[in-house]
Amino acid sequence: MSDAAKVTSVALVEDDGATRERLAASVRAQSSLELVAEYRNGAEALVGLSFRAPDVLLVDLGLPDMSGVELIRFAAERYPDCDILVISIFGDEANVLTALESGARGYLLKGSLQHDIAIDIREIRNGGSPLSPVIARQMLKRLRIRRREAAPDRAEEETMLTAREGEILNAISRGFSYAETAQMLGVSVGTVHSFLKRIYRKLAVHSKTEAVFEANRLGLIP
Amino acid sequence: MTRRGAAAACALALLAALALVAAAQVPRAHGRVVILEDGQFVLSDSRWPPGDDAPWRPVRLPDNWYFSHPAGATGAWYRLEFELGTGPFRNHMIYLPRNSARYMRFFVNGKSVSDNSAYGDPGARSNWAPPTIFQVSWLYLHPGRNVLHVRVEADPQLRQGLTRLTVGPADYVRPRYELHHTIQVTALLMFGAAAVLAGLLAAAFWLRERRDATLAWYAVTAFAWAGVAAPWAHGAFAPAQYAHGALAFLEWFAYAAPMLVLCLRVAGKRWPWFEGGLWLFTLLGLVLFALPGADEEGFVITTWSFVYLAALILLLVMLARSQIAGRRWLRWLFGAAIVLVAALNAHDLARWMGWIGYDSMTLAHFHIPLVLFAIGATIIDRHLRAVAAVERSNVELEERVAQKTHEIEAGFRRVQEAEQERALALQRKRIMADMHDGLGSTLVGLLGNVQSGKPSLEEVEQRLLDALQELRLVVDALEPMDGDLGVVLGNVRHRMRAAIEHSGVKLHWQVGELPHVSYLTPHAILAVQRIILEALTNSLRHSQANTVTVSAQAEDGWLRIQVADDGIGFKELNSSRGRGLDNLRRRASGLGGTLDIESARGAGASVILRLPLAH
Repeated sequence: MSDAAKVTSVALVEDDGATRERLAASVRAQSSLELVAEYRNGAEALVGLSFRAPDVLLVDLGLPDMSGVELIRFAAERYPDCDILVISIFGDEANVLTALESGARGYLLKGSLQHDIAIDIREIRNGGSPLSPVIARQMLKRLRIRRREAAPDRAEEETMLTAREGEILNAISRGFSYAETAQMLGVSVGTVHSFLKRIYRKLAVHSKTEAVFEANRLGLIP
Repeated sequence: MTRRGAAAACALALLAALALVAAAQVPRAHGRVVILEDGQFVLSDSRWPPGDDAPWRPVRLPDNWYFSHPAGATGAWYRLEFELGTGPFRNHMIYLPRNSARYMRFFVNGKSVSDNSAYGDPGARSNWAPPTIFQVSWLYLHPGRNVLHVRVEADPQLRQGLTRLTVGPADYVRPRYELHHTIQVTALLMFGAAAVLAGLLAAAFWLRERRDATLAWYAVTAFAWAGVAAPWAHGAFAPAQYAHGALAFLEWFAYAAPMLVLCLRVAGKRWPWFEGGLWLFTLLGLVLFALPGADEEGFVITTWSFVYLAALILLLVMLARSQIAGRRWLRWLFGAAIVLVAALNAHDLARWMGWIGYDSMTLAHFHIPLVLFAIGATIIDRHLRAVAAVERSNVELEERVAQKTHEIEAGFRRVQEAEQERALALQRKRIMADMHDGLGSTLVGLLGNVQSGKPSLEEVEQRLLDALQELRLVVDALEPMDGDLGVVLGNVRHRMRAAIEHSGVKLHWQVGELPHVSYLTPHAILAVQRIILEALTNSLRHSQANTVTVSAQAEDGWLRIQVADDGIGFKELNSSRGRGLDNLRRRASGLGGTLDIESARGAGASVILRLPLAH
């Protein structure tokens, strides 16, 4: 799928100068990556993105002027071809799941080796960074698996997992790699990636309908 | 307002009663109808009309033997003359407002035309004396003067004798008879049927609601009255001779005692002495009535009628007063019932006593429907109010239960919260201890290294990465794993992804579906992660292996997790690698499990962790 010769453009949103420098250096060190922009806050990023949307956007969740989640939601909707990675120290479930729900494709650990960052970015271009088993497990809990064989209605289609998608998440939650999962299910790795993309989309829709439901419950929507 | 309304109701009832009394009087004759009032009388046992030679003496009808023959008489003849115009004659009818004697036979112009056998004794003994009528063929009648002989056998004690007789063409006489028949017979039948129905309803109600004795007394009263309203049963069932007296008493008074008790109970009064006296009094009347020889019957009827009537009026007044706090319409109903009871019974008693016309009919039965209705309405009203009260108290009870449930739930929540707090505090303490042992000692060791000598930058980087890894493990241990050890193992692999890729070792991952583990607290998760991480790191860094296999499965109620490599194996178990493994063993036993190491020089090494499914 990916063209090895093609250089991937990367932009960076990070308020901490030292971290930003280090990440920028890591990206520059890779010949396959090209750092096209560095933003210190959300406002800069919004303006910059409107001029040029990169292939990959690295976003820190704790920005000074707006929440990283808001930025991700905006960018994911406006620039669907731009893959968004969250910068996280721990890759913990709460932050990453929120980011995934907002439209991010994965996360990048602060403190990773330069080489790892290249791997992560390559993987995201191929279909998404490896999902942690804990997060796969949470997704399984959040998106119930559709039991009925009969034609599902639109809401179910958009928010519930098919049996196949459930199997994939289950395998990932037990630590299997995408390749191993693909082998176990007798499909190609590309198929697993496209399944995961669908799951991410369902997660985003689910979180949106949940938000609507919650807002309704609180009387925020007239 | 209320008092005036009640008074109006009473007045209305009184007017109705008076109208009934008036209607009960024998209508005056007019036109071609002749009312026979004056005639001749002779005491005689002759079966045929005595001749002119008998000692006839003048008599005026009605003739109540209680007054005219107080000393007693058994049989007598009446001779009554009446004038008819010239022919041609139509059939005539002779009508008596009351069937007033035990036996009567009628002779027109010397020929027997009818008798009262259809209504004779024992019916005539009861209070109930229906009107009677018979036809006289025109063949028996003469133009001008005609003679009617009436044979009468009567009991003076029972106020028997002869009423006035009405003679005339059928279409003039019959309507009078029909009117009186309706009042005296049809109404009685209807009220009897109504009483049976009311009694059945009350009995059915009582069967479902045994606690309410008023329902039972209501049914008994209604049935007793239905019995009184069926005096023909006396003739129809032809009881044994000795039972006639008792039966006749019951035909007079059967409903009196139950109705008095009913009034008491509905008024909410329990007067055992009164009720006992009442039953004794009733029994006494029954015995006196049933004794051979009917001498006391008249006395019993008089006395018992007065006593029962007085008691009934008294108790009805009391009952009405007990309803003062109740519904207004019920008070009116009772007022009307009392007036009706007083008026109608007074009328019948006055007739019995000879104070009013002997030809009057008994009317007391007209009070029964109203009284039964008033008492029944009271009972129903009370039940409805009781049901309403129960519903109200149910609502209150439900509210109280809801409130109590709420309190209990709140209490339970508080306990639960406290429990959670406690558990959280414990977890926090354990995690702190774990961080102290792991991250803390790693950083302290690194600090010592940096201070003491000159560690290479690479070494410092490696130690820092280790520390970060350790911190991430702690963070991961805080994630919800839902008792799934597969996720814990998968997470270790995920965290070591880069290290595994750098090492070039081929990893075989054989983690199947694992049963739920009950004790996967953050502390336990961290312990398992450390054991697997340590075993895996050992294999990657020191074993020079080509492949490492991580497998996990359930085995006889245990979980068996194995990290096996095909490397050089342990040289000796007390080497530095061995000492690290001691540490792992301690962690395993802390989880209630075991850690075994299988190794032979050059034949690879296996670290096997066995964990229970539950503690």
